[in-house]
Amino acid sequence: MGSVLFNAFSFLQKKLKAQNIPCVNAVLALEDGQCVKDLLDDLGIAPQEIEGVFVNGKIAPLDTLLHDGDRIGVLPPGTPGPYRLLLGLVSSPNKESDKKPDSSK
Amino acid sequence: MSQILRINTREKTYSFETPAEDIASLGGRALTSRMILNEVPATSHPLSKYNKLVFAPGLLSGSPAANSGRLSVGGKSPLTGGIKESNSGGLVSQKLARLGIKALVLEDKPEDDGFSMIVIKKDSVEFLAADEYAGVCNGDMITKLWERFGKRVATASIGVAGEQRLTSASIQFADPKGHPGRAAGRGGLGAVMGSKKIKAIVVDDKGTDRVPLHDPEAFKAVNKKWVELLTSHPVSGQGLPAFGTAVLVNVINEAGALPTKNFRTGRFDDAQSISGETMAANIEKRGGVAAEGCHPGCVIKCSQIYNDKDNNYLTSGFEYETIWAFGSHCLIKDLDDIAMMDRLCDDFGLDTIDTGVAIGIAMEGGIIPWGDGKAAIELLKKVGTGDPMGKIIGNGAAFTGQALGVDRVPVVKRQALPAYDPRAVKAVGVTYATTPMGADHTAGYGVCQNILGVGGSVDPLKKDNNVEISKTLQIATAAIDAAGLCLFVAFPILDNPEGLQMVVDMINARYGLSLVTDDVVNLGISILKDELEFNRRAGFTPKDDRLPDMFKEEVAPHNTTWDFTDEELAEAVKF
Repeated sequence: MGSVLFNAFSFLQKKLKAQNIPCVNAVLALEDGQCVKDLLDDLGIAPQEIEGVFVNGKIAPLDTLLHDGDRIGVLPPGTPGPYRLLLGLVSSPNKESDKKPDSSK
Repeated sequence: MSQILRINTREKTYSFETPAEDIASLGGRALTSRMILNEVPATSHPLSKYNKLVFAPGLLSGSPAANSGRLSVGGKSPLTGGIKESNSGGLVSQKLARLGIKALVLEDKPEDDGFSMIVIKKDSVEFLAADEYAGVCNGDMITKLWERFGKRVATASIGVAGEQRLTSASIQFADPKGHPGRAAGRGGLGAVMGSKKIKAIVVDDKGTDRVPLHDPEAFKAVNKKWVELLTSHPVSGQGLPAFGTAVLVNVINEAGALPTKNFRTGRFDDAQSISGETMAANIEKRGGVAAEGCHPGCVIKCSQIYNDKDNNYLTSGFEYETIWAFGSHCLIKDLDDIAMMDRLCDDFGLDTIDTGVAIGIAMEGGIIPWGDGKAAIELLKKVGTGDPMGKIIGNGAAFTGQALGVDRVPVVKRQALPAYDPRAVKAVGVTYATTPMGADHTAGYGVCQNILGVGGSVDPLKKDNNVEISKTLQIATAAIDAAGLCLFVAFPILDNPEGLQMVVDMINARYGLSLVTDDVVNLGISILKDELEFNRRAGFTPKDDRLPDMFKEEVAPHNTTWDFTDEELAEAVKF
């Protein structure tokens, strides 16, 4: 058991706020063995609503195991800035190994 | 063929000329940088009669191509001492293009102190006395010019900062609603305009035909696909219109790259209170405008009107970098205070990035307390009164640091770093260090690594690949600036390999050319070569391509440092 600090941004923040789901510097309880995807499932956030998830300030896969005190930020598609590429939100479309499973959308 | 309009500001005369062969096919940044290289002695003083100020529409400006109304303004920068291209929206670019003017060049300088303005119409170019407008803020100036010359004429004007020839002075442009929210902000080109005693330029395209298209049918077909590409992409079609660029406050903060308290840490505890989400909620509540374009034909609409608590107009074009500079950089957490400073910068004609960073340096130097928004507003207002302290702030971050004896001054080539910590997003740090513009995030925007052949994923915290990525982005950005396109078209182009081909196809249909995408890459390289050559002649060397020592310190939360060698950085601008 433990907790994580959770933030949602952009359209997701708007959506979760409308549902009264805490999403601004929210402290959420964490169960042992939970990964990012489990946390999103609990909050009712579908994978296609996500472009990237920060775990402790770095873009991380959805199966990343969470630990007590982790900081999570979730970002929907539609975020501008050169940093989509430079932060690793978008990987090279050239390289098959970099493609996300849902990149055909 | 489009003409070059040369204005002699001393003699108050003008002439049209057919462009020489080496510039005939150029537009936007490609044209301004080539003309400055060819015509301005690189060692001249930027405020002297030898400097020139060139306004050039991009290659696609004036055409029906969506998001093609951007203007390049070029000259020798009074801030950096190097070449400058500053890019803006507004109405000037499209109207110059429709008047068949490829470039408008201000030359020489008057010997007397009187201000003039220039009015360009279909069949006339006029000099009018403008002393009655001296001291008038840009917002009021646009109102007066629209009353006098008609609503929706294009305007470019300087405020009190340009009149005082301060090195952070911008040139402000009326947006389609007549607000002064669009700026050629960086590098002090407003001071060059002020040195030539030109308070304003009015461009009226009444009575002109549409720009000629070599193949109208082909153009129409590509533009239709182009509009679909821009409007269907989540960034340009949804994210930017809903939250503007300010949505980056939270994102860059989360990434640990939001420079806070003069680049001491990468996270700001109060980021949420100055975020794009907060801005959008305030706009909704106070009856502003969530999404508007900076020029006609924009389908992205990342700009906005932000009202104050009493629902009155406060500012427009309220950008992420502005919010950062006056916000987390200065530890100011009241978004309305930040909006007021954005408004003051638009009215005085000041670059918000250099000015915001300078305010933070004034906090560093003990002039006002960290985080005190009201004191920051009062300090900024001193620019409007000609107070010596206002002159210090209005000369930018480097000058302010020097005046106050501060050793922690985040500049490259004397231009202030923007809103992304170079230690946590290393590719942008490489761009800050090496672009001929001085520290500038827009010099290496997020474009099409796939098209330009850079493979591999990127770790923002490590050095690997980041020099090559910066180099590629600098090339692509220069080409987009030459086309007159908004930089945000880069997002759909990044994700759709057909995007760049559409741009090439539109240029071909406009001019009857048969360019291929490689030509666009080569154009980008040739622009950078021109700019680097100007800076070399001006006396710049590789030692100017460094970040200040302060970036050798670790920055939380990732505890990374700036660790590129001079040799590694040199690769980014080796062609």
